[in-house]
Amino acid sequence: MNTQRTLVPAAVPLAPEATVRKPRPLLAVALAMAIFSAAIALFANAFWLSALTSAMALSLSVAGVAVLYGQLGLVSLCQFALVGVGGWVTLRIGHGLQPPFEVSLLAGGVVAALLGLLFGVPALRLRGLYLALVTLMLAGAFQIVISAWGFPDGGPGFLGRADGVGRSMLARPALATEAVPYFLYCAVIATLGLMLVQAHKITRPGRAWALIRKGETVAIASGVNVLAYKAWAFALSGFLAGIAGGLLAGNVGQLEGRAFSAFESLNLFALATVGGAFHWYGAVIAGLLLRALPALLTDLGIDGYVTIGIFGVALFHALATAPTGIAGQIANLLARFTRGGER
Amino acid sequence: MIEIETLSVRFGGIKPIDQLTAMLSAPVSGLIGPNGAGKTTLLNVLSGFVRPVEGAIRLDGRSLLPLSPLQRVRAGLRRSFQTEQVVEDLTARDNLAALADNVASVGERSRTTDRALDFVGLGSVAHRLGARLNLFERRLVELGKCLIGTPRLILLDEPAAGLTDEEGARLRDLVLAIPDAFGAQVVVIDHDVELIRAICAETLVLDYGKRLALGRTETVLADPDVRRAYLGEL
Ligand SMILES: Nc1ncnc2c1ncn2[C@@H]1O[C@H](COP(=O)(O)OP(=O)(O)OP(=O)(O)O)[C@@H](O)[C@H]1O
Ligand SMILES: [Mg+2]
Repeated sequence: MNTQRTLVPAAVPLAPEATVRKPRPLLAVALAMAIFSAAIALFANAFWLSALTSAMALSLSVAGVAVLYGQLGLVSLCQFALVGVGGWVTLRIGHGLQPPFEVSLLAGGVVAALLGLLFGVPALRLRGLYLALVTLMLAGAFQIVISAWGFPDGGPGFLGRADGVGRSMLARPALATEAVPYFLYCAVIATLGLMLVQAHKITRPGRAWALIRKGETVAIASGVNVLAYKAWAFALSGFLAGIAGGLLAGNVGQLEGRAFSAFESLNLFALATVGGAFHWYGAVIAGLLLRALPALLTDLGIDGYVTIGIFGVALFHALATAPTGIAGQIANLLARFTRGGER
Repeated sequence: MIEIETLSVRFGGIKPIDQLTAMLSAPVSGLIGPNGAGKTTLLNVLSGFVRPVEGAIRLDGRSLLPLSPLQRVRAGLRRSFQTEQVVEDLTARDNLAALADNVASVGERSRTTDRALDFVGLGSVAHRLGARLNLFERRLVELGKCLIGTPRLILLDEPAAGLTDEEGARLRDLVLAIPDAFGAQVVVIDHDVELIRAICAETLVLDYGKRLALGRTETVLADPDVRRAYLGEL
């Protein structure tokens, strides 16, 4: 009987190093982002820099949606509302207490995480169309609230509205007051956020999410606390949205209530699937589609509304032929050269 | 030791388990019966996914029914599924590690995962994705998952279904070695009577949710009632 032999615990590595598939390394994220950001910082003019700063920030919120959709198959249509929440809190704390920018930013992330969790809780037992509808209604509710309240602009009281006189801009972080440093600042935070997500995917939460995707019965039989891991995904997604909102607020120093309609949440989800919800760089692609593509069209003198049409076609294309999005197609292409595309 | 007392399950109008009383104490016991006899349902009751309408179950003297499925896993209950449930986009090792995450202490996780991988002989494909494993390797992953942490009761639902004779024989040797190596009791469901005969000291036969026979496997398989109901003999 050969089982006796195999009972001895392995003292040597289980497989020769060469056969070990590299686990989608975190360093690859950092490296790719560093090259990409450096290129932009070197070559972009002021107009593009502003658009790409927003794109960088938004890629974080897309990464959040991608966690929910790519990891758990959950469709959340209130992500842009959570971006707004993060922006609101960052502005409110920033104007009210004038702490270092990072403190306001972190507060925005934390409050959006809590709200994301709160939005998620009633939805924990919902899925598919029902979850989508509930979250879309939440996005609609936020649209109504924010168009009534507006974003804080240095005024008094809870709402912090200044009504014309005494309006002020939120100061950028002390170490990045100019356009290029602030872009790099956003790029660094976006990279950290993408690495945070990636770290989740390749460790314990990622394994638990994978089991939940496979089926909740199997997940439970494997000891996974399904509700806790779903709740954590909602909180993480909300946190990333909140940070994105804070970075957007820092970019121009203020935010516009009208820019946070429910449609923006829908658009964000659609582009997350077009960019690719299953690969880390899908979020970066989606961020570029959301902010750089409209900028490109403006640059070429084409009406920005054309983007909606383009996005519609892109979404249709993604749904019909490329369910893993542009990032998935890139990964397939890379896989041909390197064997085994990384996620 | 599993003690089952007047257990009944109801799905609408049917009773897939009907007033079942049985005690299983062999290191490896068999659970057999015709299609639809209620074998998988009994496993689901033991692992907590189906609630009985009446009855009691004790594992080593501890009452199981008050525990949630998660609590039962933490208490050492492991199960495999009739259709294998290997996660395609996790490696073989990560499929096992996913369970270790939840049932082993931080310091133990890597050790218990490697030990289980090694026991079932998957060391050489540890880093292969689930999607690239063949059926036998998948069945071994499922078996390996059951060995993570401190298993006390391992329930295997047709672990050899679809395997070749040679693979079945290897699986059989592995299952036989589990009680001594891991200190767990094993219950195996299978339609392959020869497999049951080879590894189970004791066997419970179900028919329409009732106990048809229980005892030493040889005795049970020779029972005329069993041969008539299950083996289709007169
Ligand atoms: N979730 C359910 N809802 C309703 N009826 C069910 C359910 N699960 C099983 N049944 C029924 O309960 C009975 C017992 O099914 P069970 O799956 O336990 O049989 P089994 O002995 O495992 O059969 P097989 O050998 O085919 O796997 C069958 O009549 C089946 O149709
Ligand atoms: Mg069955």
